[in-house]
Amino acid sequence: MSKKLYLVLTIVVALSMLLTACGAKATPTSQPPAAEKVTLRVLVHQNPPMVAFMEEFNKKFQEKYPNITVDMAVVNANELSTVTQTRLTANDVDVVDMFGFANGAQPYMKQVDPPNWQQLIDAGLLMDLTGQPFLKNYDASAIQDAGTYNGKVYEINLGRVSYSGIYYNKDLFTANNVKVPTTWTELVTACETFKTAGIPCMTAGGKDGWPIFVGAYGLLGSIYPDQAALVEGLWTGSIKWNDANSLVMWERMQVYARDMMEEGASGIAGDAAPGRFASGAVAMFPGGTWYGPAIDAAQPAFKWGYIPFPGSDNADDNKYLFGKYDQGWVVAAKTPNKDAALLYLTEFSDPANYQAFVDAVGFIPTQPTAKLSTGIGAEVAPYLANFRVGYEQYWIAPKGAGQFANPWATYFKPFGTDDDPKTLADKVQGDLQAGLNAVK
Amino acid sequence: MNYHFGRGWTRWSPYLLLLPGILFYFVIALGPSLATTVYSFTDATGIKGATVNWVGLANYKEFLLMGQASKDNLSALGRTLVFCFFVTTIQFGLGLLVAMIVNQNLKGRNFFRTLYFMPIILGAVIQGLVWSLFLYPLGGPMAKFLALFGARSEFLGGPPFVAFAWVIAIQIWANMGTTMIIFLAGLQTIPSELYEAARIDGANPWQVFSNVTWPLLTPSVNTNLTLNIIGSLQAWQLFLILIGYRNGTQVLGYLIYATGFGQTSGSVTSSFRQGYAASASIILFLLVLVLGMTTNYILQRREARIME
Repeated sequence: MSKKLYLVLTIVVALSMLLTACGAKATPTSQPPAAEKVTLRVLVHQNPPMVAFMEEFNKKFQEKYPNITVDMAVVNANELSTVTQTRLTANDVDVVDMFGFANGAQPYMKQVDPPNWQQLIDAGLLMDLTGQPFLKNYDASAIQDAGTYNGKVYEINLGRVSYSGIYYNKDLFTANNVKVPTTWTELVTACETFKTAGIPCMTAGGKDGWPIFVGAYGLLGSIYPDQAALVEGLWTGSIKWNDANSLVMWERMQVYARDMMEEGASGIAGDAAPGRFASGAVAMFPGGTWYGPAIDAAQPAFKWGYIPFPGSDNADDNKYLFGKYDQGWVVAAKTPNKDAALLYLTEFSDPANYQAFVDAVGFIPTQPTAKLSTGIGAEVAPYLANFRVGYEQYWIAPKGAGQFANPWATYFKPFGTDDDPKTLADKVQGDLQAGLNAVK
Repeated sequence: MNYHFGRGWTRWSPYLLLLPGILFYFVIALGPSLATTVYSFTDATGIKGATVNWVGLANYKEFLLMGQASKDNLSALGRTLVFCFFVTTIQFGLGLLVAMIVNQNLKGRNFFRTLYFMPIILGAVIQGLVWSLFLYPLGGPMAKFLALFGARSEFLGGPPFVAFAWVIAIQIWANMGTTMIIFLAGLQTIPSELYEAARIDGANPWQVFSNVTWPLLTPSVNTNLTLNIIGSLQAWQLFLILIGYRNGTQVLGYLIYATGFGQTSGSVTSSFRQGYAASASIILFLLVLVLGMTTNYILQRREARIME
């Protein structure tokens, strides 16, 4: 009895499928089909002003293209590369916000692994965007320097940032009669004045580690203004982390970490630091230009300025802003939603939308028609002629180098354990040399 | 011949019933473990479609013998053992103590059992966030309390050994509930007559513990020690959430994660090195295997001695 029942059910199911298939073929084709429903999966990193902009942009995009639903995931910046790799591998994402399309291996570097973006391209996971009409909206140099690999374009870069400047609290400077520092000595004096008045000199997101050492990249830049030459010198041995120039840098980094940073900075998360500075309690905040909108959002009436880190006693050495090409959009090569993904990039690249984006995030634009109309834009404009790509964008550590082979202020107390610049300089050079020797 | 499950096809029913479990074990546990072993001899990046080359022992040589990085790796290995020692001993001792307390016929004991077990339910991310907020140096509860004595709460972002000690403490807080529950289950299997007999014989509390409780807790002791050792050797999530990749704090488990997913340099542009990370995983596996088997051997001998 039951066997008969199964047989009947099987026949019914098979007939239903057959009729459904026939029915599909029978759909009239003379009428244009309704736009296919698409869910576009977008991955971005956590940067509150950027996320707020993207949410607004997505809303407008969905209104314009009602068949497309944008499913945007936000992850911590430290996790972006991990999530990108896993989601691209699983073909579970369409459009990704990708950092650092740089750090290509140089001829003088031996046995280095290619950076992760290059690994993703070599594995065929990123779409070739060459020839897409929206590329014309961007600076050719930005497309070339921060989006092109082996003659093909894989990323549209969304802007440059500087990370070697210091935000300063204009009201506190005026109230304490402190002149905006242009040399290292003036900076030290300014900090002493503030500390004497019971005002913490600087704050930064020490809990995440990198905001402390990135905050001191300006100090590194004032000692070594040509950062590409610095990296080559370190690899070839003509520059050492314990030579006379570097020792000056370490001594100043110790002052920066030990005396200039406020007590408790080691517990502040990176994205909480702008709010701490905007509270008006701290005189200065070394950090990247991307923090500008977050400071404004936290306290719109707060008055601040932005200067290059005065790491040298020669004011002429302190006129440079060091930075990098920041985030850009890439598309998954195997996306099933190619048209929607390219439409998304086309809309984003529209000059009006792009202007709104750079206004929101404070980037130095990579579209020639965009204006530096933000507060941070006005602050960096005088230094743009002196904008230089920073150390972080050139450096790849040799395999075998130790964990101290970097110019990081976080090695010093209270963030680390070191309190003697000379000893630390020798340790850093020793860790680097061990790697250089290992790959000879 | 006596067949428990009868003759004919029913004889195979236990094996058929076991099959899903065995298949699940092969797919979820054994398969990836074998794949990791193979990966450790390659330059795999973990990226689908990327070329994978056989590199022999190169990953192991780099991990153990190449430059200062290998010395840093060995330091991480040493730190893993330190972490394991403190977590295992303190968690074991505290778990036993708390289990004995909440095993008493006290008012509200179910509430306290739940309270001590609760961190387990939270998961590593929430556990980490709770403590990050609690220790927040600018206005967090701990900072406010320490400020009364003129002290500061720069623990997780401060000197590496301080941050490391806090991760030990938080790991113990997070997992002590499991140790407690296992001991509690063990304590409840000890017949009350034995305690009564000991008391009638005039035994003091210490004698009751050492001659009755402790020997009869042997299965729980063995389980807890093994779980604590293996769990602490493999720990990495709390390191990621509480302190991230910082010099002087990495343990092997976190080093593997950071290497495999390109986070070692602190740069957002480092490489994915899952073949290399797989070799570190195998080294960690060998460490767990040696320590786990040695502990098991010692515990089994002890159990046999007690049963004699």
